[in-house]
Amino acid sequence: MSSTTETPLLRAEGLSKFFTLEQGVLAGLRGTRRALRAVDSVSLQVHAGQTLAIVGESGSGKSTLGRLLLRLLLPSAGRVFFQDSDIFAMKRAQLRAFRRQAQIILQDPSASLNPRMRIGEIVREPLDIYREGSKSERRKRVQALLERVGLTSAHARAYPRELSGGQRQRVGIAAALALSPRLIIADEPTSSLDVSVQAQTLNLLAELQQDFQLTYVFITHDLGVVRHFADRVAVMYLGKIVEEAPAEALFAAPQHPYTQALFSAIPPPDPTQRVSWTPPQGEPPSPLAPPPGCHFHPRCPLAMPQCSRVTPPLVSREAGHSVACLLYE
Amino acid sequence: MSLLSLRGLSTEFYSGGRWLEAVSDVSFDLRPGEILGLVGESGCGKSTIAYSVMQLLAHNARISRGQVLLGETDLLRLEEADLQALRGSRVSMIFQNPMTALDPLFTIGHQLVETLQAHLDINMHEARRRALSLLRQVGIPAAEERLRAYPHQFSGGMSQRIALAIAIACQPQVLIADEPTTALDVTIQAQILQLIRRLLVDERGSGVLLITHDLGVVAQVCDRVAVMYAGSIVECGEVAALFAAPQHPYTQALLNSLPSHRKARGRLETIAGRVPSLGDRPAGCPFAPRCPHTKERCENGRPPLIKVETGQEVACVLYD
Repeated sequence: MSSTTETPLLRAEGLSKFFTLEQGVLAGLRGTRRALRAVDSVSLQVHAGQTLAIVGESGSGKSTLGRLLLRLLLPSAGRVFFQDSDIFAMKRAQLRAFRRQAQIILQDPSASLNPRMRIGEIVREPLDIYREGSKSERRKRVQALLERVGLTSAHARAYPRELSGGQRQRVGIAAALALSPRLIIADEPTSSLDVSVQAQTLNLLAELQQDFQLTYVFITHDLGVVRHFADRVAVMYLGKIVEEAPAEALFAAPQHPYTQALFSAIPPPDPTQRVSWTPPQGEPPSPLAPPPGCHFHPRCPLAMPQCSRVTPPLVSREAGHSVACLLYE
Repeated sequence: MSLLSLRGLSTEFYSGGRWLEAVSDVSFDLRPGEILGLVGESGCGKSTIAYSVMQLLAHNARISRGQVLLGETDLLRLEEADLQALRGSRVSMIFQNPMTALDPLFTIGHQLVETLQAHLDINMHEARRRALSLLRQVGIPAAEERLRAYPHQFSGGMSQRIALAIAIACQPQVLIADEPTTALDVTIQAQILQLIRRLLVDERGSGVLLITHDLGVVAQVCDRVAVMYAGSIVECGEVAALFAAPQHPYTQALLNSLPSHRKARGRLETIAGRVPSLGDRPAGCPFAPRCPHTKERCENGRPPLIKVETGQEVACVLYD
């Protein structure tokens, strides 16, 4: 366990990403553009060897945040530091060094693997790009990587379509590991897999974290996966982090009304816990026109008059548990 | 009495020059006022059962054996015109993607009125009145204005509510819901599932066949559940009993492999090997190659469902 005084491996400060949407074909001429605030003033940190889970429903901005953290998108505001270097200020050589240390695993391996490349070529591609070792060393490394993720060297000659969904996700993991990264951002890595295959994949990711001291940012909507995996959890709603806490504390006592609503909406796989379900009513508002003040106030059972006027800041309350809610002011 | 009974249903797909059995000898009863869950992993045949009941199978599929009884009527013996009259009136279906059921070119008011007038002898004025009432029942805000809106103007959750309104327009006795909330966020999922229970089961006493891969959904909303593996039902029973004491080795493994948000970390149980593909399912128990209790007998044909002490029916030679 890292102490909080240690420098975090990854740190975001006031990170925002706004997309401009043009309304209709003539909108650009008329100047009626609307900003979608996908990520809005997000600050977070991840310590080496730990797992931060970013949880939220569709449209919460969690995937956009993941891409910002890897500089796959440029921010509208804010900074991201990897080992104290600002990743958006990095020049070519520095950026190249950053990219080998920070990798991504995507949700749908059938969409992220090139269908025309053999498995061996896919896993070898990062090694080729970074000119790692000789040709035979690369071949050996590919073989070792495939075996490490539970595939065999026989799979190296196969094409992605010849593998099952779970095996394809292992290929994605092997390719992400090829350059021995320190940080892996996993965007819904098990969402398209069946539960028994999901369990195999999660076990593999846990072993790899142990073996290679990996730091994970896990982007997911599945709280079962979060509970199983995360050290810390950040809950997002309409572009903002509404609560951030150690996983134990968050699951024991969620503080933000949205987090509470989210937890209560999940059907536990246990019929003895069949409670009178009280899921939050209404739908998340459009991120194009988020409600003023706290974005959750129109759906919040505990909303107060000031909630529609004041945007609550994310305030640390106790032992690293932060909440953005006026109830706790 | 049961609303819908399957008796020895088998469905095949034509692939690579031969017929391959996707659903093998499946039987179950759906009773009034219950939600029966049909649960299993991708490719186990659960959706094929739904499409077999509705007879909406693709051109390369056929039902090779069995009966699908809606009350006394065997749906497999009906002419297409008679079937068409039953679909949407006595038995309806909703899908994972609600857009499957909605026509993008017509307003939702038009689509509701069309369904009502196709099955009921009512005039336009009455159909409009009922359409409005249906939209209100499924919780569409500002229903009167929304009748004039097109499907693309609704979110995924609202579209599924509209698909549900169309499905229940003629008060069906049976609703088949094929992964109705899989594409939706969890807060919306809870709302849709509650709506299905209230409108179909509590208010009308209809039966719902809920197809899902989500054991949490089964635990919270189903009364009984049938677990499928590689084309067969391997275990079937009351939800409480089955979750408390799963009997089939596959059901046990499946429940053990779930990461729970109420359980701390640790290694998850996994199932060795993988699901056999349609072309090479074993002749005996389909789970035998992955089962920790396999015996020689397991290769002698698919074991039948047998009632066991804990109340559920299990297809496994361990309980002979």
